[in-house]
Amino acid sequence: MAWNLLFFYLLGGISLLAAIGMVVAKNPVHSAIFLVLTLFNTAGIFVMLGAEFLAAAQVIVYAGAVLVLMLFFLMLIDPQNLPERGGGHPVQRIIGPLLGVILLLEVAAAIANRAVSGTTGNATPENIAFVGGSTQAFGNLIFTQYLFTFEVVSLVLLIGVVGAIVLALPERLGERLSTISLGHPRGTDAALPEGTGAAVPVTRADRQATAALEATREVILVRDPDAYTEVKSR
Amino acid sequence: MDQPIWLTFLVAFIFMNVLLIGMAYMTWYERKVLAAMQDRVGPNRTGPKGLLQPIADGIKLLGKEDLIPANADKVVFYFAPLVVFVVAITRVAVIPFGNITISIFGQTINLWITDLNVGALFLLAFGSLGVYGIILGGYASANRYSLLGGLRSAAQVVSYEIILGLSLVGIFLLSSSLSIRTIMEQQTRDLIFALGPLTLTLPNWFILSQPLAFVIFFLAAVAETNRAPFDLPEAETELVSGFHTEYSAFRFSFYFLGEYINMIIVSLFAAVLFLGGTDGPGADRFWGIGILWLLFKVIVFLFFYIWLRGTLPRFRYDQLMGIAWKVLLPLVLVNVLITALIRLIGNGQLRF
Repeated sequence: MAWNLLFFYLLGGISLLAAIGMVVAKNPVHSAIFLVLTLFNTAGIFVMLGAEFLAAAQVIVYAGAVLVLMLFFLMLIDPQNLPERGGGHPVQRIIGPLLGVILLLEVAAAIANRAVSGTTGNATPENIAFVGGSTQAFGNLIFTQYLFTFEVVSLVLLIGVVGAIVLALPERLGERLSTISLGHPRGTDAALPEGTGAAVPVTRADRQATAALEATREVILVRDPDAYTEVKSR
Repeated sequence: MDQPIWLTFLVAFIFMNVLLIGMAYMTWYERKVLAAMQDRVGPNRTGPKGLLQPIADGIKLLGKEDLIPANADKVVFYFAPLVVFVVAITRVAVIPFGNITISIFGQTINLWITDLNVGALFLLAFGSLGVYGIILGGYASANRYSLLGGLRSAAQVVSYEIILGLSLVGIFLLSSSLSIRTIMEQQTRDLIFALGPLTLTLPNWFILSQPLAFVIFFLAAVAETNRAPFDLPEAETELVSGFHTEYSAFRFSFYFLGEYINMIIVSLFAAVLFLGGTDGPGADRFWGIGILWLLFKVIVFLFFYIWLRGTLPRFRYDQLMGIAWKVLLPLVLVNVLITALIRLIGNGQLRF
């Protein structure tokens, strides 16, 4: 038992310290590392509670999610030009701490109102062992009692995916196929009219522009990079 | 079943050391096989047949100077290779090397470290954590090439992780379990085909009932471990050497160790999930034969890894992503659908 307690305090302590570090760290990449550390240690606590499935799902889902978050930092933020601490819009500076305090009060109220003497559910260790483990018990619940909620959550996620695709879609699909490479020195050619380099749509105008060149040597117009590798002689 | 905790630690210690030695000789094996494929001799100077070459390489790497770029994010730079290594070696904890307990010196010993209820998910989860080491190493090096390698690795792993997970769903459906021991145990049964007068008895290995899933698993595993032909994060021709360009000496060797240990773990994973694990002729008589069978399957799987590296050129980056999302993902979803349908019909829950 003493070992359990020690590991609990270790995991809990690290996850708390990492959570503080996440808020305090100036570099967003460091914040992301602290976030992963917090989530990982929380997963460890889940394992100690016997909820292995929850722990594995937590690591799989959040590891991927935080990774994408980190990609955003690396691609969108200039590390030499980070904002100063305490900067930002004045409204943000008031609302931010206010929301934090409200959240803290909420959590404190929830803990204070915890029904210590309330009835325990039927998820006792014996019942869980009877169905074969926490994964099985979890699956039984999610696909029977909470099926409707589960389906609603899946639908919300699906809408998110569809929304992301719609946002990423080019305005008109037909005009996006565009790489053009000309002639045997692959790529752009000084002899061509300006603007016929790479990433210009293959249009009738391009064909007319290259028509004169085609008389002197072989000119290849392709619509995508894969066609580029197949050089056929005409 | 229960054994004292010190014994578990001892088993874990032995497993990890076996894994490390296995990794060292994996490099020797790879160089020898590649040499044979390219009509060369391979390492043959250090020890008989070059067998001491991995040890010499290790000593050489430890003796080199440890360089840190001036602009590097130092703390992250220090820890990133350790993440890859530690995460890779932790994954061995859920892999069973046999399904029985053995008795040595009056102690009953389990041939596994822990039989986690969600062992397969544990392996997947730690596989996705390993990429943090790569992307953080790429970021901390303060080098454009390293950063590009790290970004590529992140995108690649996020894509192929989904496919790797989904390719295993068929097995989970057929075995109704996520525990690797249970899955391995189910594969020791017989699979009986009855086609009229002809009856064929085969081992119930999941490669036979899930062949498509196995092929997809293999492809996703190659991509997940950043090996050729999917080794875009360290593509020498474009990125110098990708995320570990700035790493030297033993920090580099941690990346190297992590990559090879991941390969061995993935091979073990494939062997226990698809190839029957320790199942084979004579395996039920003595546990040692079972381990030899497992070892044999792992070596065959690793040979495929090296074979791919020796024969196929590297994919282009958009091709890599195209294969994942446009080919493998639909295929693996169809596989899940068909398996679920067959399972329902087999259970008698769906009638026509």
